[in-house]
Amino acid sequence: MTPMDAAEWKLLTDLIQQRFGLTFDGVRTNILESRLRPRLRELHLQSTREYYHYLCFHPDREAEFARLPLLITNNETYFFRESNQFDILVRHVVPERRREIKTRPFRMLSAGCSSGEEAYSAVIAFQNAGLELSGVRWEVDACDLNPLRIAQARSATYDMTSLRACDEEARRRYFIETGGRFQLRERHRKGVRFFETNLASPNGTFGWARYDAILCRNMLIYFSDEAFDSLIGLFARSLCPGGYLLLGHSESLLDRPSPFEPVSLGNGIVYRKTQPD
Amino acid sequence: MSVPTARPSITHRLAALNALPETPAREEAILAALEDEAPAVRERAIRLAARYLEPAVLGELVADEGNANRRNAAITALERQGPYALQHLQVMLRQENTDVVMFALQVIARIGDPAAAPAVVPLVDHPDLNVAQSAVEALGQLHNSEAIPTLLGLLERELWLQLAAIDALGAIGDPRAVGPLMALVPDSVVAEPAVQALQRLAVPESLEPLLARLPAITERSLRDSLLLAIGVVVDLHPDPEPIAAGFRDELLADSETGLRPYLEQLLRAHCTTGYGGALVGADGRDEAGLLRAAAALVVVAQLEPLYPLVLARIAEAEGAEWAETLFRQHPEGLRATLEGLLASDDPRVRRGALLSASLEKRDLSLVLPHLSDPQASVRAAACRALGQIGAAESAPLLVERLRGGEPVEQAAAAQALALLPGSALQELESCLLPSSSEAIKVRALEVLGNLPTEMFESQILELTRANSATLRRAALRAAAQLPGARAEVALIRALADRNQPVQLEALELLVRRGGTQATTTLVALLSAGDSLRYHVIRALGHLQAPEATGKLLSLYEECGPHERLEILWALIRIAPPELWEFLEARLAEPETEGRRVAAYGMAEHAQRDQLPRLIALAADPDWNVRNEAARGLGRLGGGEVQPTLLTLVRDVEPIVARTARKALERLPGSATRVLE
Repeated sequence: MTPMDAAEWKLLTDLIQQRFGLTFDGVRTNILESRLRPRLRELHLQSTREYYHYLCFHPDREAEFARLPLLITNNETYFFRESNQFDILVRHVVPERRREIKTRPFRMLSAGCSSGEEAYSAVIAFQNAGLELSGVRWEVDACDLNPLRIAQARSATYDMTSLRACDEEARRRYFIETGGRFQLRERHRKGVRFFETNLASPNGTFGWARYDAILCRNMLIYFSDEAFDSLIGLFARSLCPGGYLLLGHSESLLDRPSPFEPVSLGNGIVYRKTQPD
Repeated sequence: MSVPTARPSITHRLAALNALPETPAREEAILAALEDEAPAVRERAIRLAARYLEPAVLGELVADEGNANRRNAAITALERQGPYALQHLQVMLRQENTDVVMFALQVIARIGDPAAAPAVVPLVDHPDLNVAQSAVEALGQLHNSEAIPTLLGLLERELWLQLAAIDALGAIGDPRAVGPLMALVPDSVVAEPAVQALQRLAVPESLEPLLARLPAITERSLRDSLLLAIGVVVDLHPDPEPIAAGFRDELLADSETGLRPYLEQLLRAHCTTGYGGALVGADGRDEAGLLRAAAALVVVAQLEPLYPLVLARIAEAEGAEWAETLFRQHPEGLRATLEGLLASDDPRVRRGALLSASLEKRDLSLVLPHLSDPQASVRAAACRALGQIGAAESAPLLVERLRGGEPVEQAAAAQALALLPGSALQELESCLLPSSSEAIKVRALEVLGNLPTEMFESQILELTRANSATLRRAALRAAAQLPGARAEVALIRALADRNQPVQLEALELLVRRGGTQATTTLVALLSAGDSLRYHVIRALGHLQAPEATGKLLSLYEECGPHERLEILWALIRIAPPELWEFLEARLAEPETEGRRVAAYGMAEHAQRDQLPRLIALAADPDWNVRNEAARGLGRLGGGEVQPTLLTLVRDVEPIVARTARKALERLPGSATRVLE
């Protein structure tokens, strides 16, 4: 494979940004190149430019676009990652939404859910907090742009990497081990729905429900300013009035105008929708 | 805290900027956008400012202390203008406002045109220390060796100037700086920066004084810096061994604070991959750099007692190649101690010694016993060592490993056999018998696929028709090494294989092999509109087959867009007489990618009389077409391309600006002089 030059880098990353809203600002060329190299070899292509043209014009381009996110994004996630935010959900967000969820389930979206660890962690947190006993029902939706990740999420089968924050007791309680892999127990999978969507598609909606809370953690860092802006707008449209947006520790809305206000809950900052409908 | 949202979104603001008409209001809109709160909008405004605002206008913004955002944006825009802004930046150096002078110096440094240096030199004596420091830093970044005496004079001045001068001396890389920098080590507050500068200099003259200082220094941080510098100098030194060997005894001193325990500690250090692929230690030191420097010192100074530690690193994933290379570059020390090292209890040391030693035929008796080593990794290393020796008599033993060894041995034996004289390959016959397993046959075919040979033609061609696709692919690779028409026919026949990876393999092998029969067949295959045609078009391009031109041209109109682009590429590679006309037609079409590839072709093939066409392309609305124009103009050179390139260095697309700047740098006489 010939080394990627600046023009090829721009052509390819502009295309990826246009399609998925993902930005590669500050990413070293060789990181993207090393992730793509094996795929180019499989396709018998010799340069990034050839791959770019393949993505633009080849009859198999849609299949290639479906595969591309898996190659270029970091799907790093695990059960109970940044567990403080599940505490915030259970101790602060759900109680505050009591009035709204009297006659309907508490609705949550895990946006950019990868293989589902976050969505299932939320369910386990709800169950451990005894929300069922106090009459709270929930619906957890979870979406990702990568169909393979969605398939894995639906199968709810994980390897040890996804369980790195679980002690032995947690592994035993929540999972059934089979041949070195861990299947999440059926009871923790109830009320979770996975679907495939591209969060960066213009004027998108989730088309399901309006949510009381959206978790979108460690994903916005990959988005261009324009896609970021558009996604925050989408989240605002998809939340009920007063609904909450929870971001990753390294992400913030503080330095940009948005229809959210920062609120300190528990030991963290979350964002509450300010716009009325 | 609620934030108003009535303002147009970033997308709208960007769209408004992109649609600015050419009116006086454009400048005002760009100036306003330079202060936008969104980085994406500011970035777009900076690009437009670089393209459409004159350096004098931007210079005024730099002088405006009241608006830091706009000042920073203007500084970036001036830098993007590059050579176009240089003349005005030199005017800014004469202003009274010291901030303006300082910023101008920083921009000049980043533009990096050495022609600006004479205007910078007097400012090292500026009464404002910040300005003087910026001037010194600029001289370093401009790599101005005429400034060396001035910079050496600054080594006696205030600390900040001293530090800047040391850094600049390191950046310029002139050997005259070695002595004065060494004089600052170890007894000065700037000893460590001085050593770092010597590392950047990396001139052979510094090796001896650096080695002389090393034993005396016990302070860890300075010792690390010194060792890192030595590591780099050794790497670049044409013959470091005689100098380093002179310090052998001092380097092996075994006292508590001596160097030997220090080197041992570094060679045993556990390195982990940190962010960005760098190897860092637990305390953030450059452990990987120190490890390599320590190993380099051990090898060039022939510190034999420490060889096992270096050889053991070869067994670890992150250490193998560079440590092997070190011993290969400086083989004498390892040769002298090889027997003892091969008898080590540690299999990592045995393996490392076999992989790193420069071996000859007389060493066969040392290597052969290791084909029976209890460790498979050592047996595999012995196979590789036999390949390096290249003795035909080792072939039966290597074939035995190929047939009966563990996978790691089989792979090493296959590599080694490919390095033996052709006559030794007769031993592979048993591997190709019908009774051999598929895995063994594939291994043997791998050997034959790596070197030209006339052996086993009938067996290889027979295996190109095997049931297993893996076997057919391996056999095709071996067939590609056979001379003659029968092998070519086998490859051509494989273009119709039922398995597409086999087809593609055959196509690539035919391209690599060349040959007229292959071209004829490939041209004929263009008539079949199947999925292979896309690859056939590419193959004909790589073959640079002129006989394919007519068929490719006639096919263009009737095929799909992905094949059209490949036809364009193929014709650009073939470069037939009809090419220019064909490219012109593509440029007249609305399809963006076709236009871009056509522009690439023009940049590649334009002759001097076609210069006006490239100059016209430089004003194309598409950035990629302008980028190709800049590349093509740089390729053609000559005075008449300069005005166009000076416009392109201010292009709104930074990639175009960079290409144009590179092209300008290659022209005789710098852009600054042109402007003056």
